[in-house]
Amino acid sequence: MEVVLAASASNILVWFVWIAAALALLASGVAVVLFANPFFSALALIGNLASLAVLYLLLAGEFVAGAQVIVYAGAIVIMFVFVLAYLGGRADAPWAGGPTLQNVTAIVAAAAIALEVIVVIALKAGDDLSNTAQVTGAFGSPAQIGELFLSNHLLAFEVTSIVLLVAAVGGVILGSAMPTSDDEEEAA
Amino acid sequence: MLGPGIAAYLILSVVLFATGAFGVLIRRSPLIILLALELMLNAGNLALIAFARQLGNADGQIFALTVMVVAAAEAVLGLGLIVAVSRKRVELDVDRLTSLRG
Amino acid sequence: MDVLAWTALFSPAVAVVAIALLGERIDRRSAGLLASGATFLSFVCTAALFFQLLGREPENRSILSTPWTWLTAGDLKIGASVLIDPLSVFMMLVVTGVGFLILVYAIGYMDGDDEERRYHAYKALFIFSMLLLVMAGNLLLLLAGWGMVGLSSYLLINYWHQRRAAVEAGKKAFVMNAVGDATFVLALFILVQQTGSLDFSTVFAAAPDALGDGSTLAVLVALGLLGGAVAKSAQVPLHTWLPDAMEGPTPVSALIHAATMVTAGVYLIVRTSPLFELAIDVQELAGILGAVTLLMAGLIALVQTDIKRVIAYSTMSQIGYMFVGVGLGAYGASMFHLMTHAFFKALLFMAAGLVIHALSGEQDIRKMGGLARELPWTYRAFLVGALALAAIPPFAGFFSKDAILSSLIDQGSLGWILWGVGIVGAFLTGLYTFRLLFIVFFGEPDPYVREHLHRERFEGPLSMMWPVGVLAVLSIVAGFLQVPEQWHLVTEWLDPVVESVPEATGGLALFSILASLGAATGGIAVAWALYRRPGDRPAAIRARLPWAANALEHKLWWDEAYDALFYRPASQVATWLLGRIEGPIVLRSLGGLGTGVRDVSDRVAAAQTGRVRGYVLALAVGLAVLAIVFLVVA
Repeated sequence: MEVVLAASASNILVWFVWIAAALALLASGVAVVLFANPFFSALALIGNLASLAVLYLLLAGEFVAGAQVIVYAGAIVIMFVFVLAYLGGRADAPWAGGPTLQNVTAIVAAAAIALEVIVVIALKAGDDLSNTAQVTGAFGSPAQIGELFLSNHLLAFEVTSIVLLVAAVGGVILGSAMPTSDDEEEAA
Repeated sequence: MLGPGIAAYLILSVVLFATGAFGVLIRRSPLIILLALELMLNAGNLALIAFARQLGNADGQIFALTVMVVAAAEAVLGLGLIVAVSRKRVELDVDRLTSLRG
Repeated sequence: MDVLAWTALFSPAVAVVAIALLGERIDRRSAGLLASGATFLSFVCTAALFFQLLGREPENRSILSTPWTWLTAGDLKIGASVLIDPLSVFMMLVVTGVGFLILVYAIGYMDGDDEERRYHAYKALFIFSMLLLVMAGNLLLLLAGWGMVGLSSYLLINYWHQRRAAVEAGKKAFVMNAVGDATFVLALFILVQQTGSLDFSTVFAAAPDALGDGSTLAVLVALGLLGGAVAKSAQVPLHTWLPDAMEGPTPVSALIHAATMVTAGVYLIVRTSPLFELAIDVQELAGILGAVTLLMAGLIALVQTDIKRVIAYSTMSQIGYMFVGVGLGAYGASMFHLMTHAFFKALLFMAAGLVIHALSGEQDIRKMGGLARELPWTYRAFLVGALALAAIPPFAGFFSKDAILSSLIDQGSLGWILWGVGIVGAFLTGLYTFRLLFIVFFGEPDPYVREHLHRERFEGPLSMMWPVGVLAVLSIVAGFLQVPEQWHLVTEWLDPVVESVPEATGGLALFSILASLGAATGGIAVAWALYRRPGDRPAAIRARLPWAANALEHKLWWDEAYDALFYRPASQVATWLLGRIEGPIVLRSLGGLGTGVRDVSDRVAAAQTGRVRGYVLALAVGLAVLAIVFLVVA
């Protein structure tokens, strides 16, 4: 009885957390897309990333959740915010000028994609998606991730380091002063 | 597994993806488009982690981590491009940035 | 023996390639030495072959050398074969011997010309082509040589290609020769179809059965071959190209249009005489055409004022004699005349070339006169040539022309008619030849001569004088190869290959000799009376026969007729086709293709708007559609 109670209690807890995280996820997602002020959109993205981290925790991906918060929310979004601050964060109004062909078609296409996949999932939910494997506590732990990175997926590990290097170099080049525009300014 | 089944996570992922796609299609500021792009990438990550949990195979999490790295690199370069474009005193509006027309 | 033959054939070809490749690295004189040296090598090889053949029995003197098979088409096999027999060696000796002398002469004549190396290369190419023609062991290789001599002739006639007249003349020569080539090829087609081969021996053996005596096919074959011969040898009706071909340098006229190429027609008829004998009518037609040409050319030569044109018409006339000879089966006599004609005609051209050279390029005889005193050796050489041409004993022309004439006598009514024409021709020959000699060399020097004559230490450079001397000697002694009633070396030499009709003997022969001698001396006497001193007797005659003079000066209007009959309609058709078919249909469709592609690509390019949002929208829509497709299919 205690076990059953305990099981159902943790189940209810998990459900509660899941619903909260899902709502936060969807709300922040919509906020990112719909806010006019880009600064607010970036803040909404942070909220999105945090809810994602919670969902990852529910899915036994502790390391990934941690990496998500540190890398994404802690680095990428900060970078966005820096650039926004540098550029002044101009607002743009997507709905100005009434419904254009682009806008309407965009709504239809996005909705279509979502609906189609949901239909597929609903069709398969009964058989393929109902068997969830049993996992140990070590699943998703840093130890397991590290082991996998350094054995089966060593190539991916190394290649990502090169990708990061290339991105860093590219970023420096793109960000360094372009000779023509600056010279023009000094001449004028 | 406790809580809702994998199907629910997947549906969440799809809806998030569609939201991100919608954002890419609607907005005109390249910065916001990049943010929406991040949404889409994260939706993909969620699907990967969900499937990893379902199949008991941690390769999905490895994949998700790699996607995160690539997203970071892409964000760096995208922002660098935006900064370079703004230096040229061009308005940051993707409908105006059409010099690659055929 | 094979080695000798192939060396003789290819030595000039090697010279051509060498001159072409070495280009400016060798000086001009060396190019000439290379060409003439190669020809001399061919001559030596030919002489060796001649002596080798002499050492054999007459029946054993035909050697065919086929190193490889050149062409195979179904059952037809054609080898790269070279035939060494008395006829081919005879022609080879003439071609390489006279050719060598003329090439040496040309070194001096063309000295200082801008593109001299090109000249010597073309000359060597010609020698090679002519050798290929006479050495060929089958009709296809002969045709190859035939075409190549036509090409060399074209290249050399418009050697001075900056001159419009020369270019026109070259084109005319080539096109007329092409007409003959076409009929030649048609004859070859029939031969291949009926006998399945083009080798001489096979065809001649199979012809009586395959073609039949006097049948339509035999007549067609003979006509086709005759057409080629007529074009190449400038007989009526395909003769109008030869006078124009005098636009080329004088050594070219000497070599190609006197001694060798124009005689290729005669050689062809002699070589394919078994086929002609199956269609006797066509053979007699050859004789008739020769007679007509003989007379006509002789008459036109009477009014020509260009020194080279007189000699050109004379060539036409003499080849008419050869055609008359082969028309009635006197092959040996005609070949003999071919040889002596090569000697004295080349001599005449070369002497004329010395005159032209001394007068810095002037060719109008009305501006010449009294050159016998200024250029004594040239005068003597020219005199020898003229006497040989007019058939005065003991010069060579007498023996050879007489050989032909006395073969005609005993051959029925046609023979007598042709003989009569030949006698009239002998009169005309004496007349026009000595008219030329008297106008150019006798009397007082014209004012033009006094101004422009220039002499070297000797009358001309040494390289030009000694070949003339050699030819003069040959023109004197070569006649003795065939003395009537005593010996007939040439005819006997050629007997294993072609059997000639016998010459008349006894009283008839004597009658023929006396008649031709009388005609010739009569012509010389008339020329002496009219032209020895520049008086107004010629003008008086012209005044009395204005229509004759007019007709002859217009060369009997052949050129005008051909122009109206062929050239104008052809160019009109061509212009019409250009306007109606080529312009609108061909050119515009090609252009339209390009324009059409560009239009389509412009329209497709409109899809590249440059707007990122549009592209992404297209992606999203595509993704949605694809997802539905996958759903449905799966």
